Amino acid sequence: MSSRQKKSKHASNGVRPAIDGVDSTPTSSISGLLLAAADSVIDRDSNGVKVNNANVTELKNACDDALKRFLSRPELFNQIYTHTDVRLALGWLSVFVAGATGLYGWKVEFEKSKPVVWAGVILYVVLTTVQTLYAYFIERDTVYVGKRKTFDKRIVTERITIASSTAPPPSLSSSPSPAPPSAIPSPSTTYPPPPTNCPQYTLTISFLRSTSGGKSLLGKGKAKVQAGYNAFFDEKGAMDVQRFERWVGECVGSVMDGKTE
Amino acid sequence: MFADELKTLRRLGFRHILLQILNFASVLASGLTIWKGLGLITNSESPIVVVLSGSMEPAFYRGDLLFLTNPANEKYHTGDITVYKVPGADIPIVHRVLETHDGAKIARGRSIVASSNSQDQLLLTKGDNNYIDDIELYQGLEWLQRRHIIGKVRGFLPYVGYVTIAMNDFPQLKYALLGGLGLLALIQRE
Repeated sequence: MSSRQKKSKHASNGVRPAIDGVDSTPTSSISGLLLAAADSVIDRDSNGVKVNNANVTELKNACDDALKRFLSRPELFNQIYTHTDVRLALGWLSVFVAGATGLYGWKVEFEKSKPVVWAGVILYVVLTTVQTLYAYFIERDTVYVGKRKTFDKRIVTERITIASSTAPPPSLSSSPSPAPPSAIPSPSTTYPPPPTNCPQYTLTISFLRSTSGGKSLLGKGKAKVQAGYNAFFDEKGAMDVQRFERWVGECVGSVMDGKTE
Repeated sequence: MFADELKTLRRLGFRHILLQILNFASVLASGLTIWKGLGLITNSESPIVVVLSGSMEPAFYRGDLLFLTNPANEKYHTGDITVYKVPGADIPIVHRVLETHDGAKIARGRSIVASSNSQDQLLLTKGDNNYIDDIELYQGLEWLQRRHIIGKVRGFLPYVGYVTIAMNDFPQLKYALLGGLGLLALIQRE
């Protein structure tokens, strides 16, 4: 992992890393790919992300967006949009039901319109309740679900689910792992511990590795990592995307490497 | 001015734009559904109305918001304040009930009896601030029937209705408000 020096983008098949010849299982290639992707200098289409760093919601949203963009790179994962699609479908359906009910009630006289308007209102309430229940019980904190297929004697499918939340500032005794970089860029390679009075961006990463169409399980793992927001945002609110991506790459790579068969 | 937001939108993709528009559309949809649901529960086609004229002073002034219900099985009494709409007139009128009569019904022996069904009631109204009753407003009818009544006033809020009056007199205000809401919903994240 630390021997990687190249800054160029990797080939997008992720089968055999050209440099790391020590371990050629798919697990090491994913960590390698993640770090290479984080280190690569990609010209970003924007001038950098800038948020109001007093607003924790904005900080979390900026981190979530950066995470999604990073992991959706062609050489890493393909995002699975199931949760988003369910929310869109239910939401737009309820909007159309409400619109149709309103239109009908406007065209038809009140007494005659009552049965249909009752049906429309009840249907809208049912759809909204289903949406709320889905978001609360099934989707919860999930921000990213991704899939990756590699070919190594057989088709191996890796599926990763990432949930994020904001935790209150930790007490001095806790130690998050892996150690996040400090907010002040230092030339040394050791990372001094960050200031502790800052809300923590918490990621819960879980992954599943299976083959033959999901029938045989090769490995799975779960980890919870956190880092203070001050590690990625400076005092003006500009986000250091590369540092964030490097951190995410390390976390995801260590989860996927940590539990192999 | 919106360059940052536009860049963010383009970066986040098509689904995100759909989600943001959905945020705005679902606010409107839930407002509409609450209105329709309220109308069904109160059995009134317009359960919240704004007073436009001064014919009910000193009880209600122009700009007051009125809350109506229209219970189907209750009879109306003299002194109730009703909102009614005469067929052929656009604007509902809020006035007080002066007289009520039970409608006529043909009984089995072919005799004429008073109907106990509250939907057969006949009403005469008059505004508190008017000198004469409303016969001239009825467009030829002698009595109002229950089917002309939108509802009975149960409560009111003073002055709040001026917002609706302003939006009706200046339609640009309505579009500006809607446009502003839409912009806000599209730009903000949840």
